[in-house]
Amino acid sequence: MIGPGVAWYLAVAGFLFGTGSLGVLLRRNPLIVLLSLEIMLNGANLALIGFARNLGDGSGQIFALAVMAVAASEVVVGLGLIVALNRKRVTLDVDRLNTLRG
Amino acid sequence: MVWGAWICLLSPLVAAGLITLGGTRLSRHATGYVATLSCFVAFGGALAAFIGLLGRDGSQRQLVSTAWWWVTGGSYRSGLEVMIDPLSVFMMLIVSGVGALIVGYSIGYMDGDREERRYFAYMSLFVFSMLLLVQGGNLLLLLAGWGMVGLSSYLLIGFWHDRPSAIAAAKKAFVMNAVGDATMVLAFFLLIKKGNSLEFGILGGQYSSAVANLVALGLLGGAIAKSAQLPLQTWLPDAMEGPTPVSALIHAATMVTAGVYLIVRTHAIFEQAPKVADLAAGLGAATLLLAGLIALVQVDIKRVIAYSTMSQIGYMFLGAGLGSYANGMFHLMTHAFFKALLFMAAGIVIHALAAEQDMRKMGGLRALMPRTYWAFLIGALALVGIPPFAGFFSKDSILAAAMDHGAYGYVLWVVGLAGTFLTGLYTFRMLFLVFWGEPSAFVREHFHALRRDVVGVSMASTVGVLAVLSAVGGWLQFAPLWHPVETWLQTVAEPVVSPTSWQEAVSSALAFALGLGGIAVAWLVYGARRVAVPRFAFAQRTLEQKFYFDEAYQALFYAPAVFLARFLRRGVEQPLIADTGRDLADDTRDLGGLVARAQTGLLRTYALAIASSVAVLAVVFVAVK
Repeated sequence: MIGPGVAWYLAVAGFLFGTGSLGVLLRRNPLIVLLSLEIMLNGANLALIGFARNLGDGSGQIFALAVMAVAASEVVVGLGLIVALNRKRVTLDVDRLNTLRG
Repeated sequence: MVWGAWICLLSPLVAAGLITLGGTRLSRHATGYVATLSCFVAFGGALAAFIGLLGRDGSQRQLVSTAWWWVTGGSYRSGLEVMIDPLSVFMMLIVSGVGALIVGYSIGYMDGDREERRYFAYMSLFVFSMLLLVQGGNLLLLLAGWGMVGLSSYLLIGFWHDRPSAIAAAKKAFVMNAVGDATMVLAFFLLIKKGNSLEFGILGGQYSSAVANLVALGLLGGAIAKSAQLPLQTWLPDAMEGPTPVSALIHAATMVTAGVYLIVRTHAIFEQAPKVADLAAGLGAATLLLAGLIALVQVDIKRVIAYSTMSQIGYMFLGAGLGSYANGMFHLMTHAFFKALLFMAAGIVIHALAAEQDMRKMGGLRALMPRTYWAFLIGALALVGIPPFAGFFSKDSILAAAMDHGAYGYVLWVVGLAGTFLTGLYTFRMLFLVFWGEPSAFVREHFHALRRDVVGVSMASTVGVLAVLSAVGGWLQFAPLWHPVETWLQTVAEPVVSPTSWQEAVSSALAFALGLGGIAVAWLVYGARRVAVPRFAFAQRTLEQKFYFDEAYQALFYAPAVFLARFLRRGVEQPLIADTGRDLADDTRDLGGLVARAQTGLLRTYALAIASSVAVLAVVFVAVK
């Protein structure tokens, strides 16, 4: 096998996932939150691909493709929501969107 | 033959369905014609069954036709089946024949009522239920019919549902009947336990005397509730709140006589429990006396006839309890004729006087409605038992049968004879009060003659036919000389007693004399008014209060039940159920308030919760691995 071992891939994947989750937890702009979510998904995808390569099995890669398709649809919905919020002149701050408080 | 029985059973049901589903697509008069036609078709079916049976030997006269097995459980099963034998055909002819006449009469009587369609649907349903009761091939179907006639009776008593008194009467009838239904069901459970079947044949089996007594008692309970005998009789007078044709059909001619039919049908078990059979006869005798006495002071024309019905069913119970089944059934038939006639004639009077039923306001109607007077007179003579009218032939044979039953029988015989005197007295008191004398101011003001269109014709023709039947119907059987009814019913219910001809002669002569005596006294007091009405304040009050049965039941059952219910509500329901429920609700709400705090509405809180949970799970997973 050419290239680095699976541990490197997992380390990068973990880094991406951590970065993404920190972004989701800490940032207040919904656009950035959405973007961080994508980074998390990419981390997961990278882990899938890394394992697929390690195991010599294509199904992980297929799965990653499926995740990308889902992520694309999700972004469409998410961006649509954000545009709608913006049109209604709602401040784009996730901390102020708390009408569902119990 | 058997197909006739199915036609007889199903045609009123079809009519009831048609009227119900047809709704306003059928005109009001059309529903009356549909119901009447269906009853005549049923009568035709019954005739076909009758002719079919006539062509067979005595021992072959029992045909059962099973549509399908209706109830099966383990080794027990009951079919949806009709049975024709001499007894059921006898009842089918009476029910469908008299039923058709009375439903036809209703076309006139109910003309202009707001809810004629509902009335005729109920009437058809009743005729179907009654036919199911008498045709059912096993005790279970009999019980189904038994319950359904109770239901139709409830619906029809409460037909004018905007009158509170009618609703109360309907509920009373239903509850009193439910008591009887319950005892019957208990008897059936015992039969299933002992014999694992509800076929009629099971009644002839050998049982220990305790079982036979219990089953017979249960059946007797059902019979006295349905037939308004002591001590479950109080519902029948109140049931007069219903329309008059309902009183005639259900509460005189057919349903209330179902108890007699039940005893005759299940006579095998009563013969194994002679004490219960004696009790039935004794209750009948007590009822005939009490009802006759109460009828003396009633002022409502329909209530007088209702008490007279109770009294006459007392005679039937007397006959059936003594084992003189054919005479009980024969009296049932003649009673159906003349009592329906009296009710129908009274209905014409009520109709002519703008729905007034109080006899004190009537009088002098003989000149205004002579034909109704003659019809009423024929019915009254038949009721008192004056030859050659119907009651004479049937009632006297029952009294003769009582003489053939030892000392107890003689007691019953004397009571029965006293009853004939009372019958003459109260019947002709009613006749004289309503038809004799000068027209009262009320009559002059409100009287309007019967119309000569379909309304009048349908009512008058029914009364005419019933008058003829009341006059000649009794000739069917004259106990000493010819007895086709007894021969016809012999294969189903062999009589236990066989009075000799001198007993017949003595009973007839005495009953005739006492009936005439009653009429004579009524004439002296109410007809010619030569003697003032005797006043005994205590007796009068007791009779007007109907021997305080209603008050006694009020005190014995209603008041304790209300007391217990109040106590349970305050002592049990409020602290245990209502308060517990409220506490539970309060606690749940408090808990909900706590949980609600976790729901901040902030996205990041949720995300953090998810992320930290996943982290914890991952650590646990790795650690456990």
